[in-house]
Amino acid sequence: MHKFADVVIVGGGIIGAAAAYYLALQGVNVVVLEKSDNIGDGGSSRNGGGVRQSGRDPRELPLVMYGVQHIWPTLSEELDMDIEYVQEGNLRLGKTEQHLTILQGLTKRSVELGLDVRMIDAKEAKEICPYLSDEVIGASWCPTDGHANPLLATLAFYRKARELGAQFITGETVLAIKKIKGKARQVITENAVYEGATIIVAAGYDSRKILESVGIDVPMTQIMLEALVTEAQPKMFGQMLGTAMADFYGHQSKHGSFVFGGSSGFEDTNKDNGTPITASITAPCICRGIMEYFPLLEDVKIVRTWSGWADISADKIPVISPVEEVPGLIVACGFSGHGFGIAPTAGLLVSQLARGVKPELDLTAFRYDRFKAKI
Amino acid sequence: MRNVNDRSRDIGAFVPAEDDELLICRCEEITKGEIRRAVHDGMFTLTEIRRYLRTGMGLCQGQTCSKLVKEIAARELGIVLAELEHAASRVPMRPIEMKVFGNEKEPGKNA
Amino acid sequence: MKRYDLIVVGAGPAGLSAAVEAAKYGLKVVVFDENANPGGQLFKQVHKFFGSKEHKAKIRGFRIGSQLLEEANQFGVEVILNATVAGLFQDKEVTVRINDSIQHYKGDAILIATGAAENMVPFKGWTLPGVIGAGAAQTMMNLHGIVPGQKILMLGSGNVGLVVSYQLLQAGCEVVALVDAASKIGGYGVHAAKLARTGVPFYLSHTIIKAEGTDCVTGVTIGEVNKAWQVIPGTEKHFDVDSICMAVGLSPMAQLLKMAGCVMEDNPKKGGQVPVCNAYGETSIRGVFAAGDVSGVEEASSAMIEGRIAGIAAAEYLGYIDKVTLSDKVGELESALNSLRQGMFALENRGKCIEKTEEGYDVSLHLLQKGYFQEQEVANYPGVTVQRGVHAVIECSQNIPCNPCQDACPKHCIKIGERITSLPVVDENAGCSGCGMCVAACSGQAIFLVNEDYENGYASVTLPYEFLPLPEKGERGWALDRSGSKVCTAEVVKVQTSPAFDCTNLLTIKVPVAMAMKARFFREGSCHAECE
Repeated sequence: MHKFADVVIVGGGIIGAAAAYYLALQGVNVVVLEKSDNIGDGGSSRNGGGVRQSGRDPRELPLVMYGVQHIWPTLSEELDMDIEYVQEGNLRLGKTEQHLTILQGLTKRSVELGLDVRMIDAKEAKEICPYLSDEVIGASWCPTDGHANPLLATLAFYRKARELGAQFITGETVLAIKKIKGKARQVITENAVYEGATIIVAAGYDSRKILESVGIDVPMTQIMLEALVTEAQPKMFGQMLGTAMADFYGHQSKHGSFVFGGSSGFEDTNKDNGTPITASITAPCICRGIMEYFPLLEDVKIVRTWSGWADISADKIPVISPVEEVPGLIVACGFSGHGFGIAPTAGLLVSQLARGVKPELDLTAFRYDRFKAKI
Repeated sequence: MRNVNDRSRDIGAFVPAEDDELLICRCEEITKGEIRRAVHDGMFTLTEIRRYLRTGMGLCQGQTCSKLVKEIAARELGIVLAELEHAASRVPMRPIEMKVFGNEKEPGKNA
Repeated sequence: MKRYDLIVVGAGPAGLSAAVEAAKYGLKVVVFDENANPGGQLFKQVHKFFGSKEHKAKIRGFRIGSQLLEEANQFGVEVILNATVAGLFQDKEVTVRINDSIQHYKGDAILIATGAAENMVPFKGWTLPGVIGAGAAQTMMNLHGIVPGQKILMLGSGNVGLVVSYQLLQAGCEVVALVDAASKIGGYGVHAAKLARTGVPFYLSHTIIKAEGTDCVTGVTIGEVNKAWQVIPGTEKHFDVDSICMAVGLSPMAQLLKMAGCVMEDNPKKGGQVPVCNAYGETSIRGVFAAGDVSGVEEASSAMIEGRIAGIAAAEYLGYIDKVTLSDKVGELESALNSLRQGMFALENRGKCIEKTEEGYDVSLHLLQKGYFQEQEVANYPGVTVQRGVHAVIECSQNIPCNPCQDACPKHCIKIGERITSLPVVDENAGCSGCGMCVAACSGQAIFLVNEDYENGYASVTLPYEFLPLPEKGERGWALDRSGSKVCTAEVVKVQTSPAFDCTNLLTIKVPVAMAMKARFFREGSCHAECE
């Protein structure tokens, strides 16, 4: 089977779906190929839902600020579906002086780039969120940060893109990309060949293997992160939360359940059995981390835990880049565990690259060929 | 189960039915009509339906509704039940309080 | 890390049987169960099991449960209750919630025997209080001594629906109807028959249209369905009820196996999503086993054998026995399992329309549609003979693996033979002593002692009776026929109770001789001229 489209997108996560949406909006003919059975089965459905500007690598700030100012607030309306975007700020908590020092460093860097984030004391932190433990001595506070529902956001982009004519095919594993007469043209799967003038690879960690076929490498590793979900509780707070030591991060969803991510310290060496499976020691550790800051949550019941692989690039920010030496190829991967907040922006930028339009934002920092040896 | 699944294929239009108001997922109060509509919105798998609607995300984690959702989705898609992969099962098997989950103890020393 | 040779999740028939078997070979075994009491579904099963002696036939389920527990204690199996296994992780590790803590354990082998959960059928009003699973009703009644309601409609004619309906009657409830959308009863004919003779009407090819009520169920409407499962207008029937029990099948609770990454398959004949296992119950993960309903919904008898097979396989896997011993022991158990899986209700026969028994007798369509034989059909079967004096009349018409009646008769009047699915044959020349052991031994309550020479113009019919209060000798009342209709007045001439009968009392009634092959149940009540 040989299928033609204007743009072939490899990867049916939020990046691929958002790019498909923005392209379909412009009348571009798109095919999206997803290896698994489900749209958004990788990082897109396995993250904490944070739409945060604070605590980010400065290079990502313009992308996320653009999103927070221009995309997120009206995204539900635009996609005709409530993706539960809440903009009630981000509290990053500290219990020791050492924590505060870390937070101050993060804050300073962000302020220099124009973000409205500042350090606050325990009193102010408690005014914002009365449920905090008395042991919190300070926090960094960014009032324009927020969170959304990653499951719904991914499916909302998918749904709208599909409605606009984008063709999504799941269960299609991409084996290789093939250049025809010097240009990237064909995407070879187990079942078919998909051909288009532009190919976008947005397949998370799997991008690496696929890009080999055209001689491109994105240096990435994988780490496995876990999260837990509680039963629904009456609304307590709408802020996104985190800690200086990254013990946990999370928020209370519209549904009322809390979604908290966290780590055991063994993320670099976690293993799976073919699908992401939680480790026996992680959830208990996350619980203890949460209870140190929110003792009030100790009786709340955990109904679910899950895990997911984050594709971590060598310098911990993504590649969002045209690949000039493989004409027609665009790469968007390596979102390093904080892709959700910048996903709509990234989708938009990728769609602009694909259309040959000048991207809204400067993407120099995200070039595929930026990885140089240390000396 | 990695069957190629083209989401643009024609599964027919959504036709309202008399029993659309019937509750299927009792924990999250989701109706038959919502499930059927979700399929037409593009949710062709049980996992997608679950993420989209929250069926199976309540306290019983789908023990009551999974089979029912599966039957409804399969019928709407015009496929046999066996073609629909169940959504994932995860720890914990029963809801556990945070303070209990965080209270790891050596066997034999019951807290 | 606390490590056991074998960790068993679930202290039901499969789990305990496996634990006992493995412990016999020297394995250090622990069994975790989330309930306060062990035994799984066994302790609710107050009826007598089928099968043969090796399958613990004619023994009531809860007694089998006690036996298993005793054995577990005897062989040093650690049974930890109120212990919910939260997850099965990599490296054969489980975490268990015990009281207020989470504990980690590892097993060299793991057996998941977590059973199955009840299915639901949604209909208008199904979320009203009063709509519950039949299994839930059974737990309420038999474990907690609470009736789920007073007037009950049962949906589902499989064995669970039939058996629980009977138990609801025993608990003093009224079962106003038994309903199934199928055109034929899914469970054993004998279970249906013992229900029908008390007067419970069967509505096959019917479905529930809606449950009525505002705060709870107060009524229900059913209707007949055509071949396309649509309700035929004009066939609606209404019943005042306060409960609707659903017995519409079970689905394996295989979540632990699924989360651990076992290869699963969707098998409707097994009840849904089950792990793919080899003949020893081993899943696609080496050293992780599954037994009982979790690997395929059947019954407690097969669960126990599957458990034992898995226990032995675990013993071989861990080097406690050699492959030859494994082969021998499992071979014996497999033939026990196979003999249970014969007959009309065998897996491969499910859904098939069977018209004749293995011997060539006609299957009674009336029994399958209404729950009882028409009188003229009964004489066809080899268990029903005409004789002088007292003799057993066995109204058993289906090939089910079951033979306690053969062993019960001290005069060898009843013959089944090697193939335990064969219909029982009553030997006309053997000389029945009227002891009634067969009547009490029949788990299906399908055996009667009939004596058409009892008295001038009168016959006696001895029937199995499991209701309280027991009628007394001399009491007068009504004889009911197989459909539960009154056919004549009757006098109780004997009431026998014996430990050997294990709570199946024998009630002998005197009826006009013409009623000898009609009268099959007794109901007390005053008789006036209206009788007959």
